[in-house]
Amino acid sequence: MSVTTPNTPHETVDPVDDGLEKAVVKKWKAPIAFAIFVIISALLFFVARRDGVTELRLSAENDAIKLPSIEAPVMATGIVVVILLALMTAGAFWLANQAKRIPLWLTAVFGIVFMYGFLTWAGADKSIPITGLLLGSVALSAPLIFGALGGVISERVGVVNVAIEGQLLAGAFLSAFVASITRNPFAGLLAAIVAGVLVSFVLAAFAIKYLVDQVIVGVVLNVLVAGLTSFLYSTVLSSNTEAFNTPPRLPRIPIPLLSDIPILGRVLFDQTIIIYLMYIAIALVFYGLFFTKWGLRLRAVGEHPQAADTVGIRVNSTRFWNVSIAGAIAGLGGAYFTLGSVGGFTKEMTAGAGFIALAAVIFGRWDPIRATLAALLFGFATNLQNTLGAIGSGVPSEFLLMLPYLVTIFAVAGLVGQVRGPAASGKPYIKS
Amino acid sequence: MEETLTITFRKAAASSLAGVGLVALLAGCGSAPSSDNTSGGAAASDFLPCIVSDAGGFDDKSFNQSSYEGLVEAADTLGVEPKDVQSDKEDDYAPNITNLVDQGCGLIVTVGFALADATKAAAEENTDVDFVMLDDNSIDLENVKPVVYDTAQAAFLAGYTAAAYSKTGVVGTFGGSQFPTVTIFMDGFADGVAYFNEQKSKDVKVVGWDVKGQTGSFTGGFEANDTAKQLANALIDQNADVLLPVGGPIFLSAIEAVKDSGKDIAMIGVDADLYETAAADNGLFLTSILKQMKSGVTDIVEAAGKGDFDATPYVGTLENDGVGIAPFHDYESKVPADLQGELDTIKAGIIDGSITVESPSSPSTK
Repeated sequence: MSVTTPNTPHETVDPVDDGLEKAVVKKWKAPIAFAIFVIISALLFFVARRDGVTELRLSAENDAIKLPSIEAPVMATGIVVVILLALMTAGAFWLANQAKRIPLWLTAVFGIVFMYGFLTWAGADKSIPITGLLLGSVALSAPLIFGALGGVISERVGVVNVAIEGQLLAGAFLSAFVASITRNPFAGLLAAIVAGVLVSFVLAAFAIKYLVDQVIVGVVLNVLVAGLTSFLYSTVLSSNTEAFNTPPRLPRIPIPLLSDIPILGRVLFDQTIIIYLMYIAIALVFYGLFFTKWGLRLRAVGEHPQAADTVGIRVNSTRFWNVSIAGAIAGLGGAYFTLGSVGGFTKEMTAGAGFIALAAVIFGRWDPIRATLAALLFGFATNLQNTLGAIGSGVPSEFLLMLPYLVTIFAVAGLVGQVRGPAASGKPYIKS
Repeated sequence: MEETLTITFRKAAASSLAGVGLVALLAGCGSAPSSDNTSGGAAASDFLPCIVSDAGGFDDKSFNQSSYEGLVEAADTLGVEPKDVQSDKEDDYAPNITNLVDQGCGLIVTVGFALADATKAAAEENTDVDFVMLDDNSIDLENVKPVVYDTAQAAFLAGYTAAAYSKTGVVGTFGGSQFPTVTIFMDGFADGVAYFNEQKSKDVKVVGWDVKGQTGSFTGGFEANDTAKQLANALIDQNADVLLPVGGPIFLSAIEAVKDSGKDIAMIGVDADLYETAAADNGLFLTSILKQMKSGVTDIVEAAGKGDFDATPYVGTLENDGVGIAPFHDYESKVPADLQGELDTIKAGIIDGSITVESPSSPSTK
C-alpha cells in the first residue's frame, strides 16, 4: 500500500535516531516497482492484445441512483493507461532522484489507473460489475480486518499473536451455536466475543504467566481450536443441524441517504451490523492506540517493558488484558463467517484467514489503518480472482487462485520492505 | 486488595486452563477411530468391512458421507460392526489404511482419488485384504475393485435442463478445487447446455467454466465459507439464473448468495438429491446430479460379505443407473412441459451411443 513514509507522529520513533545526521538516501524500490507495472501493462495491451469493448457496470439493478455503464474500447484505453502509467513512473524516478519520498496519493492513483487498465483488458467483450467486485472485496476483507486489528493490539502490547486463526474459528463456531439455540444473532455476536477472549486467555496465560514461547503457543492453539471445533461439529452440530447449526443471519441495515451514494453507497453503507462495528473498531483502535493514555501504556509495554515498569505500569496485567481485548475483536471477526455471511458453521471454515490477517499486521507495519488497507487489498485481489474466473478470462484457475497471495507478496516485498515490529514483541517480561 | 484480586484471578485462569486442557484431551480421545466397539465378538460373521475417508471427513454432506452410509447399511444387513477411520489431512491416508489392515479388516473401502497411491501400496502389500477404491480406476490389481462414475452423462442432462429453464440465457457453475471428479460435472453441464443451443438454435451461455480451455471458477477448497459465497455472487453478477456449485458443502454458501441476491435463481445439486437434504432451502433446487455412491458401496460390500468379491471395475453410468438426475420437485410446473420427454430421448441417446458425452475427466473404460 504505502511507500516508505516518514515517521508519522504516532509511529514509534527509535530514540537514538533522532538528532543524528542522516545520509541522504535515494530509494529506488518504488519507482522500479512502478516501472515493472508499466511493462506488465504494455505487455498485456500490446503483446497479449485484445480488441473489443469492455463494459464496466457502475450500478446494480436495484440502486437508487443509476450511473450509466462505462463502455471502454480496449485498445484505446490501453494506450491511454500505459501513457499515464509511464508518466507517473517518470515522476516517481524524478522524485527518487531528488531523494524525495513518493507520496501515498501517487501510489494510490497509480494503482487505480493500473487496475482500470487491467480490468478493461481482462474483460474484453465482457461486462465487469464494479459494485459487485467492491462489495465482495469488503465482505472478504471483513474477517481479515478484525483479525488484523486484534493482531495489532496484541503485538503492540508485546505478545505475538499467531492464534488469530484460532480466535476467528472459535468465534465462528460459538456464534453459530449460540445464535442457533437462542435464535438471536446478537447473542451470537456476544458469544463470538467470548470465544475469542477464551482463546486469548489461554494464549495470555501461557505466554505471560508461564513464559512459553509465544509463537509455539499460538500455533498449538490454532491446531487445538481446529480440532475442538471439528470434533464438536461432528458430534454436536451435525447431530441436529436444525437446532444447533442454523443460526439466523444478521439483517442488512441500509443507512439512509449514505446507502444511496452511487457505487460506494451500497458497498459501505448497506451492510450488516458486523461491518459497522468493524468501522467503529478501526477508528477506536487507531484513536485509542495513538491518542489515549491506554494506548501510550500499551505501546510502552510492548516497546520497553522495563521502562514501563519503572514508571509504575503493571506490565503483565496490561499485557494480559490487552491480549484479551485483541481476542474479543478477532472473535467478533469470526462471527462474520457465520452470522454475517453463510449462516451455518462448517469445519475449518476460516481456511487460513487468520494467517492472512497476521500477514496484514506485518504488512501494515503494526498500524491499524495500514493493516486495514492491507486486508482490503487482499480481499480485493481475492474477489478480483472470483470475477475473472466468472467472466471466463482464460487464465488457468490454479494461477487465479494464487493471485491474492502473489499480490500480497509483491506488496510486502516491493512496497513495504524491511519493517520493525514492537521491540518487546514476543519476549516475556520477567520482573527482576 | 489489588493483590488478592490478582491472585484469585490467576487461580481462576489456571483452573480455566485446566478445563480447556481436559476438553482438549477428551476431544483427542473422541476423534480417534470412532467405532472401535467391536467388543464381544457378537458379529454374525468374521467379515470385517472398513472405510477410510479423505480429508473431507464422513460428515462432508458429500461423497464421504454417502459412501459411509452405504457401508453402514451393508454392515447392518450382514449383521457386522464396521470400522471407520477419518483422515484429517493427506498424510493420514497411508497410516489409516495400514491401521485398518492391522485391525484385521477383510474389506477396506477407500474414499476419493486422493487415496489411490496409498490404496495401491497397501493392496500390493496385503494381498489377502480386499479394497474398494472409490472415484479412481488407475489401480489394476486382483484385490482392488475400482469404482468410478461417469457423472458427465448425468451432468449433461442437468445442463440441458438448466439451459431450457434459464430465463436470462446465462447459467453458471463453479467448483471447489480443480480435480477431475469436480470438473467432470462442469464438463457435462457445459456440454449439455451446448447441446441445447445446438438443438434449439439458442445461445445460452455458461459462465464459470470453459470446457475447451479447462479453466474456470474455483474456490480453492471445499469449505462452505464466504469465499464460496462471493464466487457465487460473481456468477450472479454475470446474470446467471441457474447455479451449479460442485464440491461438498460449498452449495450452502451458494444458497446464501442466492437468497441475498433477491433474484429468482435456481440451483442444481450434486452427488445426492439436495432437495431431500437442504431442509429449509430445498425450494431452490431445480434438480440434482445424482452419483449413487451409497447404493454402489452397499451392493459391493454386501456381495463381498457373502464371499462374492471381484475386482472388475465398476463404472456408474446412466445405463446402469449409477448416475442420473433427480426429479424437478417444486420446479415441476416451472420447466417447459416437454422437457421431461426431451430428457428421456437424450438419455436413451446417451445410452445407445448416438449422443456422445465426453469429458477429459471421464473414467476411461478399459
